[in-house]
Amino acid sequence: MRQPFGFKNDVASAPLLFPLSARVFLAAALLSGIPPLHAQEQSTSSISREVKEVFERSAKAVVKIRAVDQHGKLAGTGFFIDSAGTLYTAYSVGADAEDFTVELEGKEIPAHQVMTDRRSGIAILKVDLPTPALPIGKSSSLELTTPVLTVGFPLDLPKTPSFGMIAGFDRKFLGRYFSTTHLRVNLPTQRGEAGAPLLNFKGEVVGILVSSVDNGSACYALPIDAAEKIRSDFVRFGEVRHGWVGINVAPAATPMEGSRAQFTDIMPNTPAAESGAKPGDILLQVGITAVREPEDVLDASFFLTAGDPVPITVFRGDEKLTFTVEAGFHPATPRPRIASPLSPGQAMPLGLDRTP
Amino acid sequence: MDHFNDDEIGQLLRLKRHEQPPPAYFDNFLHEFHRRQRTELLRQPLWRIALQRAHDFMFQLNVPALSSYPAAAAAILICAAVLSVKVYQSPDAGSGGTLATTAMVQQLPRVPAETDDAPWSLSTPVSTRGLDTTPFRLAKESAQTHRAAATTPRYVLDSTPVSYEAALRF
Repeated sequence: MRQPFGFKNDVASAPLLFPLSARVFLAAALLSGIPPLHAQEQSTSSISREVKEVFERSAKAVVKIRAVDQHGKLAGTGFFIDSAGTLYTAYSVGADAEDFTVELEGKEIPAHQVMTDRRSGIAILKVDLPTPALPIGKSSSLELTTPVLTVGFPLDLPKTPSFGMIAGFDRKFLGRYFSTTHLRVNLPTQRGEAGAPLLNFKGEVVGILVSSVDNGSACYALPIDAAEKIRSDFVRFGEVRHGWVGINVAPAATPMEGSRAQFTDIMPNTPAAESGAKPGDILLQVGITAVREPEDVLDASFFLTAGDPVPITVFRGDEKLTFTVEAGFHPATPRPRIASPLSPGQAMPLGLDRTP
Repeated sequence: MDHFNDDEIGQLLRLKRHEQPPPAYFDNFLHEFHRRQRTELLRQPLWRIALQRAHDFMFQLNVPALSSYPAAAAAILICAAVLSVKVYQSPDAGSGGTLATTAMVQQLPRVPAETDDAPWSLSTPVSTRGLDTTPFRLAKESAQTHRAAATTPRYVLDSTPVSYEAALRF
């Protein structure tokens, strides 16, 4: 009996239309589409799990800071960096205020100001209690799109994580140069989160949140290497010693040896005046920092410490010259106010390995 | 009335129809009417007159509608009183009360214990409260406490970093 549209007949004819090899191929092709989708879900789940782990591990060392300044009460965020109660926060939270308290495990604990530094935009406070601490990472290892998260206290809300990525390494914003490169991070921020730690996926601090960008859709963070330079100065000398040499730099018409940074002025009565540097020299290196663009001198300058010898390599004519000068105090930076110099028994532990 | 028949009554009515009052009668009519009305009123006791006038006044002003205004005013006054009491209380009502009581007790001179059981006499010192005009809790302190507790802190996050370099130099 002929059944032109019968179910059985269609099935029976299938092997003729699609031989076994073709069916295997089709099945393999279909199955090959499943792993990427499954992998995507796994990847998302993995990121979420990692963020959660870092948040849970780091949250205890992040505290809400309260203080009083001339305008009234203020609140921000800070984080402990050692078990002796030393904590980093933003300059705008910990500088021009008093009566500091930190909220640790539900208790209000008094804190005191150790040092502040406007040039870097940070302040260091201390509580006289053993505290949990966050490990310090290396901001120099960050790259564009490196995922990071922050833990802060937005408004009067509880401890809150935010997740984002490194979006840029900026040296100027709205026509103003920073004193050193700042990390632009694509993560949302709100008021009250100034001073929050920027963490990598290992849970290490790689930056300190200092400002928002564009109404809180992104933020700027000071690289932790820069903050540690300030702390290292304080540990060494009891004060922050921003150094400088006394040379103005501008873009050269023609790059030399890969650098476009040209000396324009050698200022009188500065360490550079007697160094042998001349206007027109092309700057190649300051200390360990290689220079390619004039803006590179910002970082080179920031990591100078007054009193330290600074080798400077330039290109003049057809030769490379290196001369060494002793850095002086940066004139544009007032000597920072030291609220409570540490006694020898209170020295802050330091794990820096960067040599300016 | 029986000695008048119908004809006589009709004649009288015709006669009355042509009667006229004296020329100044209508000039004085309204004045005379009011005088007689007052005279009639004064025959009643004074309290009844007052009551009657109040009654008339209320009805004239539509009392049910007007009564809502005093009620609303009274409600506002009560609310204001309750709020003012709450505002000027201490944040912790329990401890505040305790403190106030303690302060009051401290200001009262304590009568020596031995006098409690001693017989009363004119020589027994009398417990009197010192009339100190200093309040237990100054209004200024109270206001500061409440404002401090209620003030929302300024949550800090700058719109730009404070870090700034004037020129490219090192």
